[in-house]
This record gives sequence, C-alpha cells and structure tokens, in this order.
Amino acid sequence: MKMNRHVLKENLTGYLFIAPQLLLFLIFLVYPIIEGIRLSLYRINYTNQVFVGFENYQQLFQDPVFIKSTLNTVLFVVFIVALTVIFALFVSAAVFDKNAKYVSFIRGSYYIPVMVSMVVMSMVWSFLLNPANGLIPYVAKQMELSSVNFLGNPKTVLPVIIFITFATNVGQAIILYIASMIGVPKDLFEAAEVDGANKLTIIFKILIPMVKPTTVYIIIMNIIAVLKIFVVIQLLTGGGPNNASTTLMYFLYNNAFKYNQLGVASAVGVIMFLITLVLSFPQLRSMFKKN
Amino acid sequence: MLKKRFLATALSSVLALSALAGCANKDTGTPEKGKDGKQKVELSLMLTPQWKGVMDPTEKGADYDSFFKYAADKFSKQYKDYDVKVKVEVVASEQRDELLNVKLNGGTPPDIFFENTFAMGDYAHRGALVPLNDIVDDKAKEDIAQNYWDTVTFGKDVYFYPFSHMPGTLAYNADMFKAAGLDKYIGGENDIKTWTLDEYETILNTLKKKLPKDAYPMGIFALNNQGDTWNLAYLRMFGNKFFDEKGNIVLNDANGVKAAEWLKKTYKAGLTNPGAESVSSNDVLSMFQNQKVAISFTNSVLFNNAKADMEAGKAPKFDIRLANIPSESGDPLTFTYVSGAAIFNTKDETRIKVSKDFVKFFSTDPELVKASKNGIPVRTSVVKEFESTNPLFAAYDKNAKYMFNFTGGVPGYSQLRQVLYPELQALYTGQKSAADAVKDYQEKGNKVIQDARANSVIKE
Repeated sequence: MKMNRHVLKENLTGYLFIAPQLLLFLIFLVYPIIEGIRLSLYRINYTNQVFVGFENYQQLFQDPVFIKSTLNTVLFVVFIVALTVIFALFVSAAVFDKNAKYVSFIRGSYYIPVMVSMVVMSMVWSFLLNPANGLIPYVAKQMELSSVNFLGNPKTVLPVIIFITFATNVGQAIILYIASMIGVPKDLFEAAEVDGANKLTIIFKILIPMVKPTTVYIIIMNIIAVLKIFVVIQLLTGGGPNNASTTLMYFLYNNAFKYNQLGVASAVGVIMFLITLVLSFPQLRSMFKKN
Repeated sequence: MLKKRFLATALSSVLALSALAGCANKDTGTPEKGKDGKQKVELSLMLTPQWKGVMDPTEKGADYDSFFKYAADKFSKQYKDYDVKVKVEVVASEQRDELLNVKLNGGTPPDIFFENTFAMGDYAHRGALVPLNDIVDDKAKEDIAQNYWDTVTFGKDVYFYPFSHMPGTLAYNADMFKAAGLDKYIGGENDIKTWTLDEYETILNTLKKKLPKDAYPMGIFALNNQGDTWNLAYLRMFGNKFFDEKGNIVLNDANGVKAAEWLKKTYKAGLTNPGAESVSSNDVLSMFQNQKVAISFTNSVLFNNAKADMEAGKAPKFDIRLANIPSESGDPLTFTYVSGAAIFNTKDETRIKVSKDFVKFFSTDPELVKASKNGIPVRTSVVKEFESTNPLFAAYDKNAKYMFNFTGGVPGYSQLRQVLYPELQALYTGQKSAADAVKDYQEKGNKVIQDARANSVIKE
C-alpha cells in the first residue's frame, strides 16, 4: 500500500500530463459508447425512456430490412476492399520503379477523386445515371439504345455503388502502396534478376510479401470505412429500390433520424461496433506482437 | 531538483484543469437587456419552402424567408413586453424530420415551425408541441372554417394555427396538348379540368405517340417520401377508401390492387417517365418545367411559383393549366395541405409565451394574413377580398367537395410515409406484383400505426 502510494507520487506528473487527453477520450469516445449501449436497451420517446432489455435486438433480427442491410454491408466490404487492394497493387507494382515524374502523375491522377467530397461524387454520378434526366440514359435514348436504369435495378445497383466507392477510394491505397514499394531495398530486386526471376515472380515473391504491413493497414482501414458507407447510398439510391441497396449505416440513420427509433438505432450501432472490433482484432494482434 | 519537479507538476495540473474549462456553464447572470431596457428574447423560426416574397413572388429579391423576416420586424416594432429577434431559417422538406429529430433529442428544438400540418402531426403525438388553444379566439374561429380547425386539432387541442392551404391537383402543359391535337381536353385558364379515367388514358396514349422522344406524357416518382400524397391519391383511383373508421389501412382489397395494377400498367406502357423507382418528385417538377413531361403533380403554391419562374425568365414559358386526378367513378380526387405554425415545447416559459404572441400576430394581422393568397387563404375574409383578382379561388372552392383526408388523422404518419415508397419501388421494378405490394404495405403500415398509437401522448 505504502509502495503503491510512493509509485503514484513518483508518477503524478506523468499522469497529470496525460490527463487532458484521457479526459477528452473518456468524454468523447468512451462515454458515447457506454451511452449507446445503454440506449440500445431502452424504448425512447420525447417524453420518457422505458427499459425493454434486449427487445430492440430481437426486433432487429426479425426485421428483413436489417438482415438485407447486413448482407449488403458484408458484400460491400468484401468486394470494395478486394477490388481496392488488387487494383492498387496492380497499378503500384506497374509504376513504382518508373520515372519519378510519371509516378507523380499517376499518383496525382488517382488521388484527385479522393480529394473530391463523396457528396459531390454522388451528385455527379446521379446526374449521369438518373433514368429520367441523366446524361447516360439521354445519350442511350438518342442513339436508339435500350436504356438500363442502373440505380433502379436490384441486380445492377450494388455493382454500381461498389464501382463508385472503389473509384473514389482507390487513390489512397495507391499512394500508400507506391510509398511502401519505393522503400523496398533495391538489392532484393537485383539479386532476383541475377537469379533469373521474371517480373511476375518478383512481384509475387518479393514485392507483395515486402509490403504486407501496408496491405494489412489498407485492408483494415477500408473495412472500417466501408462498414460506415452512407453518403453514396443516401444521395444516389436512398437505399432503394425496395431496400436493395440499404446498408447498416443507412438503416441506423433512418431509424435514428427519420423514424425516431433511437433505441433500435443504438442497437444497430452496438452491433456495428462489435463487427468492427472483431474485424480490427487481427491488426491489434499484429501490433501487440511487434511489441 | 525539487523546484523543477514542482514546476512540472504545476504545469501539468494547469494543463489538466484547462481541459475542463470548456465544460463550465455559460454565465447567464441577469437577462440581457435590449432596446428600451426590455429583456432580449431570440426566437428561432424554421420553415420549409412555401411561397416566395412577402406578399408576392414577383417582388424584388423575393425568397422563401421574406414573409417571416418582414413579419418578425413588424412584430418586434410593436411588441411591448420584450425586445424580440427572430432568426428565420428555411430547411428542405426532405431534411425536416432528420433536423427536428436531432434537435429534439439534443434538447434544442426550434421555437416555431411553419409547415404543412400533415407532416408535423407526429410531433404533437410525441408531446413535443404545445397546444395553441389559448391564442385562438372566437373571431378567428368564425373567419376560418371548421374543417381547417379539425385538421389541426389532435385529441382536444389545437396544435397548429392555420394560415393557408394548398390543394393538390395535376398540372398540364396545354401547349403540348395542342401540339398533340388534344385541344378538346384542355380546360379554361382558370378552371380545374376534370377528365374521366378513359379520357385520361386517351390523353396519355396520344401524347406518347405525338411527343418528341425525350418527353413523356405523365410524371411519376417513387424515390422517396416526397410528393407521396399524389401516389396515395392514385391508389384511390378505383374507389378504395384507404382507412377504415378505426384508422387502420384497408388498401388491400380489389379496388386497391386494381389501382396499383393501373400504375404498373401505365408505367410499363411507357406513358410515364422511365425509372420511377429512382426518380424524385423534384426531378419530375424540373422535367415538367423544362417541358419534358406533359402532366405533372402540383399544388397551388407550386403552381404559382412555376408561373412566377416563367414570368421572371427563370424557366421556359408555356401554357400551364390545372386538372384533377381522375378516378374510375368519374368524380375527381383532390386533397389539401393546411399550412400553419406550430410551437415546440422548449421548456422555456418566456420563449413559449413570445412564440405564441408572434404566431398569433402573423396569423391574425390584417395586412400579413393577405400573404395567404399565395396558397389558398383559410380565412373567408381574405378569400372574399381576393376572389375577384384570383379566379382560381372559386375553382378550388368548387373542387372542395371531392377532397379526401389523406392522412386519415392516424398517429405515426411520418413513419407511415417511409413504408409506401419501397413498396412502390418493388412494384415498378417487378420485384412484387400489385397484390403483394398492396398487401405488404397494409401489413407494415398498420404495424406502424399500432405502435405509434401505443406511444402517443394524445389519447383520442
């Protein structure tokens, strides 16, 4: 006890220095999470809150729109993350060892969509794809081609959203991969060339394994970002047609702000939190391993 | 060493305490004094786009907030009790519920909201609005017909002060009709033309043949809940009553299914714009104004705004006229939105009192109530004053007997609106048959009503 008090006194200055950050962390991150978990167990009206246990969760698992949202979110995560990693690896591996100006040009070209707000991108795509007054259906009609409503067809709406999100995000991954690949020691490539390895072997046996930490980082960051996919859904499809493109985040938003079902929305938030936690676990483990 | 350590501890303590500084309560002290030593009160008033200008959309710099800014200024000048400032904010209709729910859950609702009352009834059921019985006097009750008071009364209390109303109809491009040889179906400039369903189908089919290939006979939409009242009207075209006496949806009968089938058939035949499932009511309005759609939905304010835009050169000019939504029986279908102000329970007695005084002021002031002519005035006195200069008032009056109450007065109407458009999307995309879409809508809709009724603070 005496020893503990001594240790505390010894480290007091240190604790006080981290106190502001810790305090803000507790107020703005830990408290909302706890409050979210609490709210998920209540039915909330403007005038009162009633404890309902796990009723909100039960209601969610019986709701076909929630199930559809979960499946769509999983689909988005799998396809967008896979596309991003494969395409970014392909582009980066093809250009990283070229002329510096060329690399900068490629990097810049792919990064421009990342800088443009998702809201603007969604509006541009809406202008292009709107079946009644969009540019693509208009041109198709003028050319006497049969027009497809990409956003109104349950079979095409998901691929369109996947493509738009992928096209907007891939620049970030390309930047990270190129930076990582430039950092791979040159002598490894030279040794491989001396041994007669072709470009493909170099990519698969040297480059990809050497940039593994970047790949892990890109995968985790993209999984977390895609789990929260919202703007493109809200502005482009409104979750439609008939909830075909609704996602967990959009479902949460609708319940919280349109239907005023704060309890149900909090329950969705808790489920999303758990999914993110599980998916982030490999990264956390690799971080602890290093230490 | 000790001194250095003391300094470090002191510095870190200051740092830690400074993080808490922002959490301190604002020092409210004594109330701020304004002009003439009166206490300052700042109200926030929100509205969705209604009419432009103070009295008329043709005024210079006319905008959606012009009227309320003018009314606030006039009120402030003559108000004796407090020095009042009113912050007027226009919010998009489709953002209304999101915004209000965030503000209500954060404990910062606006003081006053001016909107079509059908969209705000749920807030009364949720206990977020204060009753306005004490600002409604006998004079107002005499001047405003009972049916408008019925629309704004929930349980025993009045929650909205009726200002104007906006009957919903169709609008058509008479120039397109003439070009298609449909002259005999064109009504008078100040008439609301009534077509039979057969005539309507003839019009649509003729337009399809005669219009340029990038224009469509009729505008339909199902992207979201905006403009869904017209979709509700189309679902009554074959005589379905929609709600029973107990306030439950009864769309799932032969007539309801027939109406859904008619919508699908009309859409599939190319008599409407394509992609209804991804098209919003705003898209259809733009298409109509740009002469890409011959028949669109409208209400009295949208109609006036469209005309004003044409006059101001903001939109292509054409001969725009009104028609009723047809039905199989031959009797037209029409409805109205009563617009008015509601006051939120901010739990601040002073602000609620001043809000009530302001709402009463602009809803009764003889000069200000004239602005209701931009829609259709709810006050008989204003109708009489303007009926000679606005002959459409008489046409709307003649139409009033065909009006139906599209909300059915049921609780949970806002959420009910979120259930309809996914079913219409499923219908248009072929995911569901008309019978299934109607059946599922009734099932989901009645569940919404049942839950909302259980949670309502208003016991009817």
